[in-house]
Amino acid sequence: MPGADGPPSDTDLLRRHVAGDSEAFGELFRRHRDRLWAVALRTTGDPEEAGDALQDAMISAFRRAGDFRGDSAVTTWLHRIVVNACLDRLRRKAARPTVSAGDEQAFEALAVQDSDPARTTDTRLDINAALQILPPQQRAALLVVDMLGFSVADAAIILDTSQGTVKSRCARARARLLPHVAHLRGNRSASESVSPAQGGDA
Amino acid sequence: MTRQTSHLDTDVLAEFRAGLITGRRRRAIAAHVKDCARCTAADNQLAELSALLAAVPAPVMPDSVAQRLDAALAAEVAHKNEAERAVAHHSRDRRRPPRMARRPTLQFVMTRVLVPAAAVVVLAAGGYGLSLIGGQSSSSSSATAGSAAEPAAASAVPSAAQANGLSAPTASGRVAEPAIQNSALGLVPNATDFRPATLRSQLEAALRVSAATSSAPHPTEPLAACVRRLTSGVSPGTLKLIQSAYYQGRPAIVIIASSGSGYLAWVVTPGWVAPGCSATSAGVLARTTLPGISAP
Repeated sequence: MPGADGPPSDTDLLRRHVAGDSEAFGELFRRHRDRLWAVALRTTGDPEEAGDALQDAMISAFRRAGDFRGDSAVTTWLHRIVVNACLDRLRRKAARPTVSAGDEQAFEALAVQDSDPARTTDTRLDINAALQILPPQQRAALLVVDMLGFSVADAAIILDTSQGTVKSRCARARARLLPHVAHLRGNRSASESVSPAQGGDA
Repeated sequence: MTRQTSHLDTDVLAEFRAGLITGRRRRAIAAHVKDCARCTAADNQLAELSALLAAVPAPVMPDSVAQRLDAALAAEVAHKNEAERAVAHHSRDRRRPPRMARRPTLQFVMTRVLVPAAAVVVLAAGGYGLSLIGGQSSSSSSATAGSAAEPAAASAVPSAAQANGLSAPTASGRVAEPAIQNSALGLVPNATDFRPATLRSQLEAALRVSAATSSAPHPTEPLAACVRRLTSGVSPGTLKLIQSAYYQGRPAIVIIASSGSGYLAWVVTPGWVAPGCSATSAGVLARTTLPGISAP
């Protein structure tokens, strides 16, 4: 087995998995799963769905590892599979006649709870709640580019679309999100002289 | 369009920032933003938003999710190993699916040891990390070495093989192993979410399905040692089933051993498999008896 000095690369591990090493995939997945969990949780907005989606993705990656051609980084490939699994789940969920948590009313309910000034606002909680007002495709784009820091080119691979679409989804997501996170920015930098102009036109 | 008399829409500003607007329109917007305090502020807010998003700390994966993923992966590895063994078993008349990975060492084993397909569980030393590896011959021999103190029940070999409808021409001569290794272990993935109220009927169903369909895997250390300790009071302690499943929504390992005319069953957490594991150690979620069921 290779990797005598230093940990094996992602690509090495994936190659070893394809060659039949029963432990390589586990090692690879554990290496990235915290980050992938963040992706799944934020894309689905629901821990249950996120866990299911991440498990789907993990099994899918396990089985489809032979399809990896090395055109992108292994992490990009893994993120793509996870995002796809999440969007699939959201699509199926949307097809079910349940109340969607991803609407503005649900957000308002969360926002009211979180606006208690006596409590230190948990930015993470608020951002995750705010993200849920976005349509899934926009949310995924914003997540991949702004929150995870992938390049637009890699984001296009992950989201299986063009770079232009990535940019426009991000732009629309930011515009839509902005009014909802104004209070967070206020908490963070209340002394900064950014006037709260976003309320005027909306 | 060229002359912005009113303030810019946030959408337009966001597109402008993302580089989606080009040419003359871009220049016009840039000129407007430069001269308009309100649009400059909105533009700054968009920039801040991206910075804020980048700075949000990532949520931590809960242990329950991590354990569940480990169990699911272990089951998948076991499934793959079984499938590959089955393919190798029938390789004379069935061609190997193209995307099956070649496994030279395993293939060597398989041409010699035609025991029923086996799944082998190996627990990472760290605790809940559950992974499975193939290769029943070499791993079970190492398991044997680590468990010499356990009483053997060699008679379990033919009965287990017959229960699976398979004769077991174990040609390698490495088959003399303690009770657990020779028994019909079946660590297979089971999507069942076992519940306290329905535990016995669910276990019976799992046992029935397992007896009808599954082959006989061999656990390796440390699971084998834990299972031996669990079943040490059971005579003759023939293991019938080990499955990765769920208990009350959380990953669990289900273990069933025959006992007299009936069965004893345990549900344990993946983390139970650790040094010090026993029938009374933490991690044993449930324990029950089952009446004998007629083998199909």
